[in-house]
Amino acid sequence: MGESNEDIDQMFSNLLGEMDLLTQSLGVDTLPPPDPKPPRAEFNYSVGFKDLNESLNALEDQDLDALMADLVADISEAEQRTIQAQKEPSQNQNHPAPLNIPDFSGAAALGYGANVAVTSVSQYEDDLPPPPADPMLDLPLPPPPPEPLSQEEEAALAKADKIKLALEKLKEAKVKKLVVKVHMNDNSTKSLMVDERQSARDVLDNLFDKTHCDCSVDWCLYEIYPELQIERIFEDHENVVEVLSDWTRDTENKVLFLEKEEKYAVFKNPQNFYLDNKGKKEGKETSEKMNAKNKESLLEESFCGTSVIVPELEGALYLKEDGKKSWKRRYFLLRASGIYYVPKGKTKTSRDLACFIQFENVNIYYGIQCKMKYKAPTDHCFVLKHPQIQKESQYIKYLCCDDARTLNQWVMGIRIAKYGKTLYDNYQRALERAGLASRTNLSTVGAVPPAPPATGPKAGTTQANGQIPQAAHSVNAVLEEAQKQAETTKPPPVASKRPPAPPKRKENPGPPGGVGSGEQDFMSDLMKALQKKRGNMS
Amino acid sequence: MAGMKTATGDYIDSSWELRVFVGEEDPEAESVTLRVTGESHIGGVLLKIVEEIKRKQDWSDHAIWWEQKRQWLLQTHWTLDKYGILADARLFFGPQHRPIILRLPNRRAVRLRASFSQPLFQAVAAICRLLSIRHPEELSLLRAPEKKEKKKKEKEPEEELYDLTKVVLAGGVAPALFRGMPAHFSDSAQTEACYHMLSRPQPPPDPLVLQRLPRPSSLLDKTQLHSRCTAGRPPRPLPQTDPVRLTQLYEQARWDLLLEETDCTEEEMMVFAALQYHINKLSQSGEAGEPAAAADPGLDDLDAALNNLEVKLEGSAPTDVLDNLTTIPELKDHLRIFRPRKLTLKGYRQHWVVFKETTLSYYKSQEEAPGDPIQQLNLKGCEVVPDVNVSGQKFCIKLLVPSPEGMSEIHVRCQDEKQYAHWMAGCRLASKGRTMADSSYASEVQAILAFLSLQRTGGGGSGNHPQGPDASAEGLNPYGLVAPRFQRKFKAKQLTPRILEAHQNVAQLSLSEAQLRFIQAWQSLPDFGISYVVVRFKGSRKDEILGIANNRLIRIDLAVGDVVKTWRFSNMRQWNVNWDIRQSLRLSLTSPHGKPQLQGPVTQSVGQSLGQLHISVL
Repeated sequence: MGESNEDIDQMFSNLLGEMDLLTQSLGVDTLPPPDPKPPRAEFNYSVGFKDLNESLNALEDQDLDALMADLVADISEAEQRTIQAQKEPSQNQNHPAPLNIPDFSGAAALGYGANVAVTSVSQYEDDLPPPPADPMLDLPLPPPPPEPLSQEEEAALAKADKIKLALEKLKEAKVKKLVVKVHMNDNSTKSLMVDERQSARDVLDNLFDKTHCDCSVDWCLYEIYPELQIERIFEDHENVVEVLSDWTRDTENKVLFLEKEEKYAVFKNPQNFYLDNKGKKEGKETSEKMNAKNKESLLEESFCGTSVIVPELEGALYLKEDGKKSWKRRYFLLRASGIYYVPKGKTKTSRDLACFIQFENVNIYYGIQCKMKYKAPTDHCFVLKHPQIQKESQYIKYLCCDDARTLNQWVMGIRIAKYGKTLYDNYQRALERAGLASRTNLSTVGAVPPAPPATGPKAGTTQANGQIPQAAHSVNAVLEEAQKQAETTKPPPVASKRPPAPPKRKENPGPPGGVGSGEQDFMSDLMKALQKKRGNMS
Repeated sequence: MAGMKTATGDYIDSSWELRVFVGEEDPEAESVTLRVTGESHIGGVLLKIVEEIKRKQDWSDHAIWWEQKRQWLLQTHWTLDKYGILADARLFFGPQHRPIILRLPNRRAVRLRASFSQPLFQAVAAICRLLSIRHPEELSLLRAPEKKEKKKKEKEPEEELYDLTKVVLAGGVAPALFRGMPAHFSDSAQTEACYHMLSRPQPPPDPLVLQRLPRPSSLLDKTQLHSRCTAGRPPRPLPQTDPVRLTQLYEQARWDLLLEETDCTEEEMMVFAALQYHINKLSQSGEAGEPAAAADPGLDDLDAALNNLEVKLEGSAPTDVLDNLTTIPELKDHLRIFRPRKLTLKGYRQHWVVFKETTLSYYKSQEEAPGDPIQQLNLKGCEVVPDVNVSGQKFCIKLLVPSPEGMSEIHVRCQDEKQYAHWMAGCRLASKGRTMADSSYASEVQAILAFLSLQRTGGGGSGNHPQGPDASAEGLNPYGLVAPRFQRKFKAKQLTPRILEAHQNVAQLSLSEAQLRFIQAWQSLPDFGISYVVVRFKGSRKDEILGIANNRLIRIDLAVGDVVKTWRFSNMRQWNVNWDIRQSLRLSLTSPHGKPQLQGPVTQSVGQSLGQLHISVL
């Protein structure tokens, strides 16, 4: 055991050195010529992840500054809390539980801050390598003090708890994070941190908090591929990091934050998609208006049964021939299982249909200016491709509709066939969010329970935890449990808030100051570095 | 009092003789003659009949059936006059509940007692209660088609009958559960077997039988088949805890597809076939119960890692632990690789292939392995297609790997089953973004090996002819899983890989999940749940087809099969069915789009199904 502790200490001091380096280079990095050289350690462990695209790399100074300001706010808050925590033990030793929260949010913020620093320096997504992370995070909870706790069971229990905690931290440290530059509709950009567990919905909520917009259901993340001239709406349940990981390093692709009424058009006016008279214009006027009750029942019929009903959609579309700029008119039908076409000389009964494409492995995009680029018959095109394909390829399918209305029907129909009920659930959640925003009027952080913002300046504890309230809670819970354990077994609760502290001080000769635990030593180090950097900035 | 006589024997009151047959509509049956007046109550008549018969028996279920009017005389306080019964009425005194043979959606027959005197809906509800199927409103009875006289007397295999006539259902709302089944099924081994028949999916049918069964060849034929067991989409979500209902719905869906009553495309059929294969495999392996809900994989990992860590911590330094945790198993071997390209004459070439995490790399030779590979492919998100012929000893994996530039296709050929199973399992996991360190790797390898052995014993290599039932019991006989038109279109060895390919997407589902998926896919078919009727619209001279779905009426051109017009029930203000005219039913619909009126030689059952819809619309 002693040996392993020494190992940990060794690694920890290594890490400290590493962090020091990083924080220093961070200060440098905010200055114009960014250091392109990523730290060596990260390289070894970033195998298996794809490189992030250039546009994310080319963070402008102001973006970095903003990001840094957020982080500094996080950390200084954590710092204050740590100080508080240091004061409080002497006053109320009987209530250790509330003290844990600041303690660990501080620790988590630290880990988080470290991660951010690394990402912005190394300029691509990065998972903090597990080995260095482990000792750092493990430190607050070293083996139980041998003197007061002689019972082996307790030791084992405490150890189990600690290991669990360490693993949690490990997991946390492994979380892939991206700095994403989001283009707003006023041509400005915002950089924000997205971790691999966040869905587009979480990112939207985050952006709502930053922009103070009306939070309507039409807001969406929107990806555009300038090279392929295609674009699409992120579905709210989609994992943002996963989508962005498919982009190549030198991509021109962008993420936009804007309002698109197409996003949930089917839920606002289901009759336009489900009751459209094929090809007949006469009933158009009447069919476009429908009262709310009928809409609701139509939606219920379509989305709330055992299976989702895909709109009946069929008609002639133009299909771009593979590798050519010629377009062929074919009769296509949409079914829940995919898009089919009617082969020459056959009827459109199910048995004669030939499968054109199934939706499992493709996303649907709008094609932009295909008329110019591919000589499409009209500009109302949609595109189906595997999300990983980034360059022109014969595996990208281009289809062209006669008018915008048909295009919207097809795109929506395909989304319904591909995502099913999820789409409806997403809408419900977006509605809830919009309703919440309009009720409270001020969209304060506290009013939004899900998806705490990553880098808002008025951070709560959840924020300091790096956007994962659940993880933070479980850590707290584990700790509280450990606490209870310790309390029940130890009659005099001497410094029971931080059971690891006493032995740590003894066994760890390195850290100066002796504030209590290694974690805080580390904190103070980082604080210093940051203060230095702040001085640089001003 | 009826039957007062004068001294000469003449009746002085207005009484008359009423003859009542005893038994179930059998004219040869014994009869009793009673003296009644118009004021006699039915209850009194019943008493008299029982007195006359002079037999001790429980008569409580008996009632009088009036043959001419096809009516049960159930109101015991009504007088004969009120019913309008005269001396010429043919009345039968018989039990209200009689045994019937009921063919279930899974094509098994059950004999049970059903009420003949209650309205159909209530009778169905009672049957459903007996069979413990919830939501009886989804179901109805269909009279079996009259058997046509066949020239050759084909021997119909004697159907196995499950007898439920003796089962007595206790009163009360919900039947109690006993040993995992409703209590009334657990009385005897026989009824228990019946419950298993009800709640477990049946094995796939013999393809020969499938080919013999009548199938509709045109839309017109389908008009004969209107009003199936369920009318339209079940309105309620299907809970997985309802085995009988789920299974019977699944069976109905399956037969509906196998007999081509609802059409589907080739791709859809393959998915249906894969699901059938999967369901059959699960139900045969006796895994009727639900496997424990899969724990959150993240937690699983954590627990596993924890255990690992704890063990390690006892002995060694933590650095080892981390090494161990981060080590990911890899596969290395000499394999033959082929990259299909335009205008290439090259065949398979031997390469040194390394498969680590989700990445496949290959080298010219093992010696060059430390250097740069010829090609490196990240299999995440790729399509994995098996190309296997066990008898031909061909074990190929076709990979369609997405990359920023497009898709690259690569074929990997393995030497034997074992090697194939390991690499295939790795590829499948990698395509889902998981590595071979994943806990499901070993089971995936086993599943693939099991699959290969099935192909060896079963369908795989057989030629054109569908196999007998003996083969279908063990192996995969693709002909039992698809509609006959696909049997004609494809050879078994063409079908098998396609079904296997579809199977890999559903292989993780539990029995009820798979059944649910099957039903959902069936309900998503555009033709699902539409009954077809030949009608003639007012003012039109030609026959047309009216499709009746659960939410709309569809007017279909008989000749072309095109949809002419659709009326949604929600848009109709009012509609009436004129019940009096049997042969030309009139249906008037009032909708915002006008007033179509139709009349046509419509049978009563169509009127009924319209009537049901009418109710459901209201």
